Amino acid sequence: MIIHAFGRKYDWIIEPRYWRNPIIGVITLLALPLLMYFFATGVFGIRPVALLSALIFANILAMIGTPLVLQIIGTGRVSFGPHFFVAVGGYTAALLSKNYGFSPALTLPASFFMGALIGLGLSPITIISRGIYFVLITLLLPFILWELTYWRSDVFGAETGIPGVPLLIFTGDVVLDIMIYYYVSIAMVLILLFFTDRVMRSRYGFMMGVINEDEEVALSYGIDVAKIKVITFTLTSGAIAVAGWFLAHYQGSFTGPVWLQPSFLILILLTTTLGGKGAVYGVIASAYFIATLREVTRTQFGEMSVVVLFIILLILLYILPEGFWGLYRKRRYREYVPSIRIRRA
Amino acid sequence: MLEVSNLTKRFGGVIAVNEVSFEVEKGEIIGLIGPNGAGKSTLVNLISGFYLPDSGKIRFLGEDITKKKMHERAKMGIARTFQNPRLISNMTAIMNVMYAVLGSERGSKLSLVEAYGEAAYYLDIFDMLKKRDVLVADLPIYELRLLELARALALKPKILLIDEAMAGLNPAEAERVSKLINRIREEFDLTIIWIEHVLKIIMRSVERILVMHYGKLIADDTPEKVVRMPEVVEAYIGEEVV
Repeated sequence: MIIHAFGRKYDWIIEPRYWRNPIIGVITLLALPLLMYFFATGVFGIRPVALLSALIFANILAMIGTPLVLQIIGTGRVSFGPHFFVAVGGYTAALLSKNYGFSPALTLPASFFMGALIGLGLSPITIISRGIYFVLITLLLPFILWELTYWRSDVFGAETGIPGVPLLIFTGDVVLDIMIYYYVSIAMVLILLFFTDRVMRSRYGFMMGVINEDEEVALSYGIDVAKIKVITFTLTSGAIAVAGWFLAHYQGSFTGPVWLQPSFLILILLTTTLGGKGAVYGVIASAYFIATLREVTRTQFGEMSVVVLFIILLILLYILPEGFWGLYRKRRYREYVPSIRIRRA
Repeated sequence: MLEVSNLTKRFGGVIAVNEVSFEVEKGEIIGLIGPNGAGKSTLVNLISGFYLPDSGKIRFLGEDITKKKMHERAKMGIARTFQNPRLISNMTAIMNVMYAVLGSERGSKLSLVEAYGEAAYYLDIFDMLKKRDVLVADLPIYELRLLELARALALKPKILLIDEAMAGLNPAEAERVSKLINRIREEFDLTIIWIEHVLKIIMRSVERILVMHYGKLIADDTPEKVVRMPEVVEAYIGEEVV
């Protein structure tokens, strides 16, 4: 169906076959915490609350991974500093709540705009640097912020963090709270997924795809590569910062050094890589897989859990070079644009 | 239509293009030849905006485009193909052309389905419609060349810069590509600058030849006259010019 609005045309694929799998996916995500809570209690020695917390962590990984995939496609570069923007969003929410009494409804747009603003300021790096230079620049950002949190511990609270951030939900019932947090976080993931999916299927998504493949070819197509990179980096940075906002209001505090750790970066990068190259749906699957595996290894292997987790993930990277999405794509892939018969005049 | 004056491009101590000047009229088809390393591809890269010149001027349709970026020149109607086909290998043939339709000036006014339809039209011109759903990675070199031409044409260019469309093709395929280039020139009222190493074909296909040697333009005349010029013969010593 083509929708005409504001003097432009928008494509909207409405055939049920395009909706079947997303609907199944959404229902699964919505039913998952209830199923796990009632039927998987005690499996691998995991407590129900810990299991639900793991699923919320999966949603946080997905909240970061989804815009990060869009950023990777639209800039043609892999950022090693997504957790920097998580910290930017977290600190914005925590500082505004604590110092100025902002409610979560106000800190949400503030976190997004702060992330986007810093993203805009940094966006020229997507044009002027590539390869190891881009990696180093983006890798340095979280380290700088890390140092800053200690240097200005009066503001950022160093490893104590900023406590006293108002909680998003508080009913007094721990299980109920955590269940609601799960649904809030999954709603955020689904909203991000919807927008990301629409962007990737739009003409801008197509242009981003060309940039990702070959910037010089994109230029020869008449695509303003620099403009698309700046817009992509800015908006996705803002979107990643929203994950920080959620963390601050979910935990009631924000401690940058916890989230600026390289191990968190590795989990984010593994989420996007195991999801599959440029695959937003794959990111959701890998986020859930990694978060659950992390919880299982934590309960089963104690101090060795991180080592075991990363070894398992490394093996998976080796045997699934195209990630989880690659597995699905092999069996179920369809071209988005339907075939049309063309009759020449 | 296109005026190139005193164009110079240096790479370190090497002068790849040295004070090159020429003009191209609308509808002309011009061959650009010269031995390896003569500066032909650099000249095309300068015209398309891939490189910016160290000195000199390029005017297109009366406008100075010397400092314009590559994507701005593409929007103005300067399209090019590459010496080694540069296509998106993990996409289908039609998606590659569709990208070009969407990137063109009119692309923003088209829906995706309309862009798909237009892409199919351009594939059909090159008899590639039946290959529309084939991954580029699975196409042979002949079809990659055709696909590059279809993609360039989808930008609705005013001038088309073709960089060695015959490389890697057998004589029969080269002949077919040559005929197609002449056909699209007539059908779409195109101006073409065509770099080529297969001299026998290009001499038959163009009205005017530019010869470059060590970055300099050493000849600019009809094919018949160019092959008799001593400086051209000297540049091609050891090779049969035609």
